[in-house]
Amino acid sequence: MTLWLHTLAIALLVSLGGALWRVWRGPSQADRMMAAQLIGTGGVAVLMVLAALQDWALLVVAFALATLAALAAVGFVKSESPDGAGDPEEAPPVKKMRGTGQDRAQNG
Amino acid sequence: MSLVLDMALCALILGVGLATVAGHGVFRAVIFFITYGLLLAIGWARLGAYDVALAEAAISAGLTGVLLLAAHGRLRRLRAAEEAPLRPNLPAALVATGIALALGWAWFALPDPTAPDLTAALPQSGVGNPVTAVLLNFRAWDTLLEAIILLAALIGLWMLARDRAWDNPLGLRYHARAGGVMASFGRVLPPIGLIFGIYLVWAGAEMTGGAFQGGTVLAAVCLVSIMADVLPAPRIAQPAWRLALVFGPGVFLLSGVAGAVFAQGFLALPPELAKPAIVTIEAALTLSIAVTLVLLVIGPPDEGGQDA
Repeated sequence: MTLWLHTLAIALLVSLGGALWRVWRGPSQADRMMAAQLIGTGGVAVLMVLAALQDWALLVVAFALATLAALAAVGFVKSESPDGAGDPEEAPPVKKMRGTGQDRAQNG
Repeated sequence: MSLVLDMALCALILGVGLATVAGHGVFRAVIFFITYGLLLAIGWARLGAYDVALAEAAISAGLTGVLLLAAHGRLRRLRAAEEAPLRPNLPAALVATGIALALGWAWFALPDPTAPDLTAALPQSGVGNPVTAVLLNFRAWDTLLEAIILLAALIGLWMLARDRAWDNPLGLRYHARAGGVMASFGRVLPPIGLIFGIYLVWAGAEMTGGAFQGGTVLAAVCLVSIMADVLPAPRIAQPAWRLALVFGPGVFLLSGVAGAVFAQGFLALPPELAKPAIVTIEAALTLSIAVTLVLLVIGPPDEGGQDA
């Protein structure tokens, strides 16, 4: 059982490495952000496997990560809006498309 | 097998650390730094330091990412991010390498510390979590100063505000489409985070958790509510926010003075009263830590979109 859990944790870490490759390559900012979110999910999985391996108290850490990992995405969406405080659902579609396209070209 | 696991984790942490400082582009460095905090949390968990892992996970996932991404957005609006020099900063690299080498040397050269045995003293502390016992009983002095340092950091941040912006709401004027994804998220997450944060404070007396971790979770969900325009942005002049800022350190100081008058000395807790005293101090500290972190992340009063 321990061997199996160790193998699982290592496999999960390797999959995190794949997501890290996507953070490195991009090309767009959204690609990097989504890869970071994938790493957040994978991190929760690693912590849950470690909880089974070491101590079930680690589930609290996994839960904290699961609750708060989406905040970076909220911060990303906010910072991408024209005034840094908006919401893409508010903007008229034409303006929104042009805004994100421009940003990708400059910063991707 | 556990050695392979640790090696893989170390390789990931080192690789992400290198990618953070070596790659081009501010945004990529920010994203790598967010994942770096997450991997560090796994590393602390692997080392058995669950309270540190919890603090690292809550801060890096909940607060640092939002702070850095907001800073990057601001730089981009000011057209400053593209002009940032991409040359490696040689002096900084030398200093950082020197510190790393010195720490490595200290790790091998210094003798193993002979810490006093905590298990013998733990029953007198009133709590079962050794970390909480050290933070709020045996070394309460350090924790009191740390709580005050947070306040000092906030005052330092507020000094960046201009006089005419002083009465404005703190941070940017966040807005979101009513009933949209952002607004719904700002209503769904806070109840979960509220229960989880309070649980962390309460459970911190006996197991993993604590005032700082709970306060960070509360701060993060409060921040989401402000960013989703569900809660109004606070102002410096509002007495409730100011009271919340000083409440924790105030209660801590008062209990310290009470210890000096009625018990053995400043910040000393009599064993029979230790548990209720620690829980009270932690609850008050949690409120102040949460409010301080929220105000630190949303920043000084905004001048009203002049830089947008």
